[in-house]
Amino acid sequence: MTDVKQAARISGMRQFKAILKKDIVMELRTKEMLTSMGLYALLVLLIYYIALSQAGRGFDVTNIAGGLLWLAIVFTSLLGLNRSLVHEKDQGCLDALLLAPVDRPVIFFGKAIGNLLFLLIVEVFVTPLFMIIFNAGKYAHGISTWGFVGLVLVVGSIGIAGVGTLLATMSVNTTGKDFVLAVLFIPIMFPLLLAVVAATWAILIANPDMAVYWKMIAVAGGYDVIMLLAAYALYEFVLGA
Amino acid sequence: MAEPYQTDNALEVRDLSRTFGARKALDKVSFDLPKGAFLSIFGPNGAGKTTLLKVLSTLTPPSKGSARVMGLDVVEDAVKLRERIGFISHNPLLYPDLTAEENLEFFADLYCIDDPKARVKELLTAVELDHRRLDAVRTFSRGMIQRLSIARSLLHKPDVIFLDEPYSGLDPHAMDILDSLVAAVRAEHTFVMISHDLQKGLELCSHALILAKGKIVLLDEREAIDPDAFAATYRATVGLGVS
Repeated sequence: MTDVKQAARISGMRQFKAILKKDIVMELRTKEMLTSMGLYALLVLLIYYIALSQAGRGFDVTNIAGGLLWLAIVFTSLLGLNRSLVHEKDQGCLDALLLAPVDRPVIFFGKAIGNLLFLLIVEVFVTPLFMIIFNAGKYAHGISTWGFVGLVLVVGSIGIAGVGTLLATMSVNTTGKDFVLAVLFIPIMFPLLLAVVAATWAILIANPDMAVYWKMIAVAGGYDVIMLLAAYALYEFVLGA
Repeated sequence: MAEPYQTDNALEVRDLSRTFGARKALDKVSFDLPKGAFLSIFGPNGAGKTTLLKVLSTLTPPSKGSARVMGLDVVEDAVKLRERIGFISHNPLLYPDLTAEENLEFFADLYCIDDPKARVKELLTAVELDHRRLDAVRTFSRGMIQRLSIARSLLHKPDVIFLDEPYSGLDPHAMDILDSLVAAVRAEHTFVMISHDLQKGLELCSHALILAKGKIVLLDEREAIDPDAFAATYRATVGLGVS
């Protein structure tokens, strides 16, 4: 005979939805992450504008547009990723999450999908602005080009949100967490960044190179799968450390 | 995974140790606590009280030894155990930007409680916060936050409630309200409370424990304790410092 009460039916999906909904409601109420990420991205674009203003008419920005765009996205995402976990830590809410009968990967996916959503929202505003300001879409072939750019953004952002959520959780208990996150994040993201920058370049240049584009999308997608599986496996350990 | 078993004890702690680097926060702690008891834990800062509570509530794994809460191992059966414990801290463990109702509904979803809206309403009424249910927690006083924190911890009807200095920072009125809330649910739960307030801790408890340098200095039933001798023992431990 067991001493344990019949456990309530625990639903990982219900818990996942609750964590995601909570993050969305809190962000819609405070707009803390979206505002700070959006403003930061605009400032990066301003710096680009100043830096490129002396480049001259002969300079074709499409050759470096992919790198510039992803640099802005990576820096912006670092800001948001830090905030997403600090919210939990500030009021001891992370302990409340850990005290609940929630499998740790459910917490990971709840937080990561929230971070992905907020990052994509910022990209929806920043990317068109970037294209307009720097005329980076001058060789675009209709709507299909923007569809391909959108696909790179989604694939790249999945990796950033997944790896970033794991690393932000690791760094949230450390002193100098902003620095720790950046130091860990950039080297680990290196393969993904190379792939998405190359894919973005391949679609924005005068003669789009679709072979390179799809190859780089496959590399980025593979990176996403591997890193998400690693994050899934490691999250319990990271939270317990 | 270890099988849960029939036991009259709410807590069974055996040679429990927890180290942080070279520092021993808990050093071979062993004790039992019967179901329905109220254990007050006293000790100087750094004695290992919070670490003990964190291990028992599955927040921190032990380095050595074992602990069972309601027959469930804190490591092997952690997820099952979390369904049966509540935690009230001097930290509210609530989201300040959510309303009282949203906070409780969020935690009700984490515990997968049937009919969460009804349970949330019932608890908000019990802690006399129904009239503030749509207000953000950041607008609440310390006493109101602590009442809401109690409601959060009771959502899933836990068997054991851990309290980490719950009276810390409360004004006398808020302390009275907390007293009455604890009294109202006292019979249905086992309580484990960390306290620096000897008088309050002894007033509430059925068992008292003094920890110092990660070891048990004294553990006894309240009826067997002479308050003056207990206070003298407690004061002696304050000078011991941390391990």
